[in-house]
Amino acid sequence: MYILKNALRCISRSKGRNILIGIITLVIAVSACLGLSIRQAAESAKEETLAGMTVTATISFDRQSMMNDMDFSKGEQDGGFDRTEFADMMTSGSTLSLEEYKTYATAESVKDFYYTVSTSFNGTDDFEAVTTETSEEESGEDLQNNGEFPDFDADGDKMFGGGKMNNMMGMQFSSGDFTVIGYSSEVAMTEFQSGVATVSDGTVFDECTENYECIISEELAIFNSVDVGSTITLTNPDNEEESYELTIVGIYTSSQSNDATISMFSTSQDPANRIYMSANALQNIIDISSGETVEEESETGLTKTDESDEDETSSIAGTISATYLFEDAAAYERFEDEARALGLDDSYTVSSTDISAYESSLTPLNTLSTMAGWFLIVILIIGAIILIVLNIFNVRERKYQIGVLTAMGMKKSKVALQFIAEILIVTMIAVVLGACIGAVSSVPVTNALLENQVSSQESQFEQIENNFGRGEMPDMLDNAENGNNPMGGGMNFMEEFGNNAAEYITKVDSAMNLTVVIQMLGIGLLLTLIASAFSVLFVMRYDPLKILANRD
Amino acid sequence: MAILSLQNICFSYDKTPVLKDISYDFEKGKMYCIVGKSGAGKTTLLSLLSGLAVPTSGQILYDGKDISKVDKYTFRSKYIGVIFQSFNLITTYTAAENVVLSMDISGSKIKDKKARAVELLKNVGLDEDEANRRILKLSGGQQQRVAIARALSYDPDIILADEPTGNLDGETQNEIMEIFRDLADKGKCVILVSHSSDVADMCDERYELVKISNKKN
Repeated sequence: MYILKNALRCISRSKGRNILIGIITLVIAVSACLGLSIRQAAESAKEETLAGMTVTATISFDRQSMMNDMDFSKGEQDGGFDRTEFADMMTSGSTLSLEEYKTYATAESVKDFYYTVSTSFNGTDDFEAVTTETSEEESGEDLQNNGEFPDFDADGDKMFGGGKMNNMMGMQFSSGDFTVIGYSSEVAMTEFQSGVATVSDGTVFDECTENYECIISEELAIFNSVDVGSTITLTNPDNEEESYELTIVGIYTSSQSNDATISMFSTSQDPANRIYMSANALQNIIDISSGETVEEESETGLTKTDESDEDETSSIAGTISATYLFEDAAAYERFEDEARALGLDDSYTVSSTDISAYESSLTPLNTLSTMAGWFLIVILIIGAIILIVLNIFNVRERKYQIGVLTAMGMKKSKVALQFIAEILIVTMIAVVLGACIGAVSSVPVTNALLENQVSSQESQFEQIENNFGRGEMPDMLDNAENGNNPMGGGMNFMEEFGNNAAEYITKVDSAMNLTVVIQMLGIGLLLTLIASAFSVLFVMRYDPLKILANRD
Repeated sequence: MAILSLQNICFSYDKTPVLKDISYDFEKGKMYCIVGKSGAGKTTLLSLLSGLAVPTSGQILYDGKDISKVDKYTFRSKYIGVIFQSFNLITTYTAAENVVLSMDISGSKIKDKKARAVELLKNVGLDEDEANRRILKLSGGQQQRVAIARALSYDPDIILADEPTGNLDGETQNEIMEIFRDLADKGKCVILVSHSSDVADMCDERYELVKISNKKN
């Protein structure tokens, strides 16, 4: 006890020296606190983002991987890449069936599963697509004849939320006047979930219904003078005689802008020409069209008029886009292995835009965190050296006192303990003060640094864009950022311009927490131990007789 | 029975013999003076007696026990009170704090150590105001009194004093010597180291140290 009392007395009697040590330690503590807080803020931001994020993932075909795996020896003999074999492989193995998607949904990590079925239909004279062109016939049919679907995506697999839309993928998917999307769940109807679209008249179809009920856009309803309860007729773009009657149960309005760039390719790309129905009902139509469930026609109200000569090329083809929901990122990480165990081929990849966006959003904060880490190390090394030097001077200055105390019978270990207590008290007071100052300043400082980091990151991105001659991002990007996801399958147009346009985390709400306080105390103890270790060494090697004899 | 006994003590410093074959007994209730010229080894002998140095050969017995077998810190803090020539007080402390510190180190169980320190300082002629002054604000004589009070604070059997009157005027010297005499009369063994024959004359016994080189001559 008297050791502590003596330590306190010595501190109070040597104010100048201890204030100097205190100020140096305070500077180290504030710097360390800021460094730790920035790192903690980055960690917290990661955890909070992850905690608040429902991770969605899709399974897509890895075309490049398949091309790499192809046996080129045969092709080389013929003089190059065997396109026929490639097309065959694409046709046979590039798409997954709904049953396969459902099988992978049984994986333990999957929290929820939904899918959309997308296809294209033509209208009739009584029900036509909204178009800005005078010659309505040309808009869809020219493209239809070419057998091409307007493809905004370099990868050819994202336009319909992960579905396979490119004709190279072996799909027989002709472009009609309307895009009909079937949803398996209301969760998949992201436009309605986000409020971009709302049902203004009638109500939405039941998500499980197999009835041919649909909702159409207000523009389409006005254009064709139809209302809730009206029946519309859609036809197979490849076979005008194959028609289906749908009942309008709701009319929706959407704030999504109709971009001329999109609709100029095809009327079906105009958001106004989208017709939504349940996935079950649409799948039914597709199955009937391909001849799978012809026997059910009487029950489902099928009005398929030409079934005898149907072949595969003229049947309605749908694109399935399946989305898996996960509780957290860890579940997503587990999913791929589980899906592989359930039979998912290596030529398919599991990807999540949420995870990519999440990782991109953390780039400035992670950079700042790394810099803060290095800053912390440098500060601690410099701080430790300064404290060691100061303490060596301190011990040498108090050599006589050490001699007197040991001559009086105080054990060297107790003298050393007193010195440690003195350093510990001064250091801890400075660390507590430093932590308080750090706590007050950490959030504004972190945000200021983060702002710099984000603007630097953005400048860098802009510079790269300028280097490629892309001064401004197309309007489509704005649409994407507004949450206008045309297919609701977890993808959006943003992808088409790369992942660089990420939304960065630009602010942190709190940086200091209990972890930082504990780390600060740890740093205080560490500095005390390092600084006092040298003091102890000096104390232990001093001989009281020599000290006193020299003084005499 | 001797409280402190030197038995064939030899001490060399860097292979230079300083003390050779010294045997002597110190008893309680007596005041001794170790005299000798400069370099005769007076302070060295005092260091050996106080446990600050270890003899090259021979034994020092405290109450019949070899002090090399006793913990030297315990010996210094409990059994022997040393008054150094330069007092060796902690200058950043007050007179009373120096005395209290000494009691703390010895493990004294006294409850109000501050009051006991003030009382001890009063016994050696320092009032309360002086007791609460920092050491550097006290005169040489007052510092000497503080050093004596500190040595007495844990009530040791032996009091060792190195040149206790070296820098003091005649009147103060007499006062200090009276204190030592009083301590010897109270049963303490008081051992003074001095080159002054006046001090030696005031003691019960004197032990004269002779330089080893002189002995050869």
